[in-house]
Amino acid sequence: MATVMKTTREVKGVGLSIPRADGAEKVTGKTEYVADLKPKGMLHAKLLRSPHAHARIKRIDVSKAKALPGVRAVIVAADIPGLKKKAPTRAHAVLAIDRVVFVGQPVAAVAADELAIAEEACDLIQVDYEVLPAAVDPLDAMQVGAPPVAEAGTEADTSEALAHSGVAAAKSEAKPSKAVNISQQAKINRGDLAKAFAESDVVIEKTYRIPMVHQGYLEPHAVLAQWDQQGQLTLWASTQGSFNTRSEVADILGLEENQIKVIPMECGGGFGGKIRALCEPITAVLAKASGRPVRYVMTRREELDAGNPAPQVIIKLKTGCKRDGTLMALDADTIIESGAFSGAVLTMSAVFIASVYKFPNFEVRGFEVLTHKPSIAAYRAPTAPHTFFAIDSQMELMAQALGVDAVEFRMRHLMQEGDPMANGQKWQSNGAKQVLARIAEHPLWKNRKAWSAQSGKNGRGLCGTGLAVGGWIPGLQPTGATVRLNPDGSLTVLTGQVDIAGTNIALAQIAASAYGLDIDKVKITTGDTDVAPMTGLSAGSKTIYTVGTAVLEAAKDARKQTLQIAAAEMEAAVEDLEIEDGRVVVRGVPDKGVTLASIGKKGNLYMSKIPPVLGVSHPAFAVQAPAFAAELAKIEVDPDTGQTTIHDFVVVQDAGKAINPLGVEGQMQGGAVQSIGIALTEAMMYDKNGRLMNPSLLDYRKLTAADLPNIETIIVEVPAPAGPFGARGVGEPPIVPAPAALANAVHDATGVRLTELPLSPERIALAIAARS
Amino acid sequence: MAKHVLNSTINGEAVEILVQPYDTLLDVLREDLRLTGPKEGCGTGDCGACTIHLDGKPVTSCLVLGMQARGRSVTTIEGLAMTGALHPLQDAFVRHGVPQCGFCIPGALMAAAAVLAEHPKPTEEEIRYGIAGNLCRCTGYTKMIAAIAEAAAAAPARRG
Repeated sequence: MATVMKTTREVKGVGLSIPRADGAEKVTGKTEYVADLKPKGMLHAKLLRSPHAHARIKRIDVSKAKALPGVRAVIVAADIPGLKKKAPTRAHAVLAIDRVVFVGQPVAAVAADELAIAEEACDLIQVDYEVLPAAVDPLDAMQVGAPPVAEAGTEADTSEALAHSGVAAAKSEAKPSKAVNISQQAKINRGDLAKAFAESDVVIEKTYRIPMVHQGYLEPHAVLAQWDQQGQLTLWASTQGSFNTRSEVADILGLEENQIKVIPMECGGGFGGKIRALCEPITAVLAKASGRPVRYVMTRREELDAGNPAPQVIIKLKTGCKRDGTLMALDADTIIESGAFSGAVLTMSAVFIASVYKFPNFEVRGFEVLTHKPSIAAYRAPTAPHTFFAIDSQMELMAQALGVDAVEFRMRHLMQEGDPMANGQKWQSNGAKQVLARIAEHPLWKNRKAWSAQSGKNGRGLCGTGLAVGGWIPGLQPTGATVRLNPDGSLTVLTGQVDIAGTNIALAQIAASAYGLDIDKVKITTGDTDVAPMTGLSAGSKTIYTVGTAVLEAAKDARKQTLQIAAAEMEAAVEDLEIEDGRVVVRGVPDKGVTLASIGKKGNLYMSKIPPVLGVSHPAFAVQAPAFAAELAKIEVDPDTGQTTIHDFVVVQDAGKAINPLGVEGQMQGGAVQSIGIALTEAMMYDKNGRLMNPSLLDYRKLTAADLPNIETIIVEVPAPAGPFGARGVGEPPIVPAPAALANAVHDATGVRLTELPLSPERIALAIAARS
Repeated sequence: MAKHVLNSTINGEAVEILVQPYDTLLDVLREDLRLTGPKEGCGTGDCGACTIHLDGKPVTSCLVLGMQARGRSVTTIEGLAMTGALHPLQDAFVRHGVPQCGFCIPGALMAAAAVLAEHPKPTEEEIRYGIAGNLCRCTGYTKMIAAIAEAAAAAPARRG
């Protein structure tokens, strides 16, 4: 565990609930997002997008668009050198070359003086398509003979898995399939499956299905691109990782990374959807062609039609146990629909389903399937809500079949530190059992029978309670941070970390505690890719765990330098010195000391021989810290309409150490509501031609304040051995448990078990009607 | 297309500008007047990020044409607190740690201000329905509702 500096007076830092420093900017509307920028001479971009899910492009005529006054550039695929037909990622397919593979795929791009002119120019571009059959449902698409999505020979993209997953790739014994749309396969197994099922007394088999959902970040994708006379490209981006954006754009456009500066603007939500490049390359091309700064902002319809949503996941799950509750066998197919381009976290999903509960015999076959739909990306613990929906529904079903308590049954079989995961990797220390135990102590769980007994009384509908556990193994990525002592005795922390959720205040708190200075004397800045230390993605619940470690070590380095300077000046030993109230003092002799300001000033004095204090750390990481949450829902279902009302909702989460409890609660509440949305209302609905039928926020239902109760939060702290002050990742776990918790609650209330999401009123009402 | 003259009172100041007849009020505010506090999250009135007050009533400015503000009074987030200090709602939002990504906040605050104008001592349900047109994807609304309730409780009782 990280060393906590000892001071006679407690430093105001780690553990305090402090609002983020930029709060006042945000509540006054002064915070700048990409779409708020408007440099002189700026042009507006618009993309012409495919109306077909699958079609051959026979001809594109842009002459009328080019002739429209105010149009400064019109680009088609042929204008972009080096564009490859076998695009390895969605971002590499900047514009469609001769075939479109999803509705909304960009075909041509326009930059014009005004947005209205760019829109009119797009209308004037004539494209002749030959419409081809589309593969829309993943189960059909994975069959031999389905319409092909990728060009033959395109490599699978596993980089998303590398960015996110905490799990080393499972050894795949799967043979390449002749079904052309199966782009990745994984297979993991252990033990004798057939024998174990033969010896099982209870065998349950279900198919779980979760549709594509959109991350729903409120700020649509946006970028501003500008080239200078030296051929340097500057991108003002809404991104979860500026260095990642720089690498991807360089690779796609054939530039050196040093030719690009990415300035991360305030990111209006990402949740995994703003990791990969999307509209940056084409905007840079338009800026180059027009010689002007070009701003591109996606519309909400474009976001829903052609963003990069979360995949549809279908899990066929069969589990067996003995009459005494001994787990015997698990057999699963996990099918992840990746849309038009590869990139799903297939391995993570396949490994997780057989790793959380201790099944001695298992086989999991994973398939990534391409379809003629927008390609997918991460969404907060990608595929974990899906995986836990299946496994935690299944554990509940098995407990009920055995007639035992569902919490005790889970507790008996839940993995813990040292247990092998499905791929043989050992589970690290984690709080899965602690969060489950804590939520089972909640009065709402203890009193669940009394709530159920309210069903049908006093005008009540059907009353029920459900819970589930869920988690994630946060990612790792090398990173860097510097901590500088200023002439006024304050500290400045610099990283390249994009702060979306409020991580900067927590990083500043870590610096404060590690150095020995109060938080109000610490300022933190996120630098652009020209000035900041190399910093990874704001993704994978890893900012505090990794960047926090860099800041901790850099602050300790700065403290050491400070004490060394003071020791020389005071003719004292470094070991005898302490930082207190902005001064370095000899321990036990509070009168003797030098101020941090005087040390800081000497680092910036003309002719001074005292070096400026600059703490530096740039670590890489090897040890992960799994993070778990448990959620409980107390609900009421209208038996006639199938409408579910949530009366109470509780999240218990292991934060390791809550550096800033206020921020941790915000993550838990926001994550829980996203989880409830996946469970109850959200689905991207496609027709048989691959067209999205609900491309607006009216028809695609995100939860509103009127749909929800207050979300109660309970933080549990099981320290992560390698985390700063014991902290572990908090962003992702709370999005995981609600689908299973709500399916369990709906079952408790109504007696019907639903295995397909969302748990819509229609689905619930039909299930109730079918049973009676 | 020929531009039209728009005369309006915006955040307390008389404004006269030329606008396209098809420009939304949100476009006029953001692109012409550079009041970029109101955000465009959907452009179809579903997300509430562009909420402003038109003659004191909350509207999604993406669904109003700029010319419809002729002779009327517009208040944006930039005009919520004209004194330099934060409005009690803004202050409560900061202290409760409401803003995360922050994109919904200007619209949510304008909706919240309208709730308090209509219900000086609102119930939780009145707050929830009052901001039901404002999507937030980061907070789960819990802290937002607590902040609005606290700001309402702290406000002096309305006279008469």
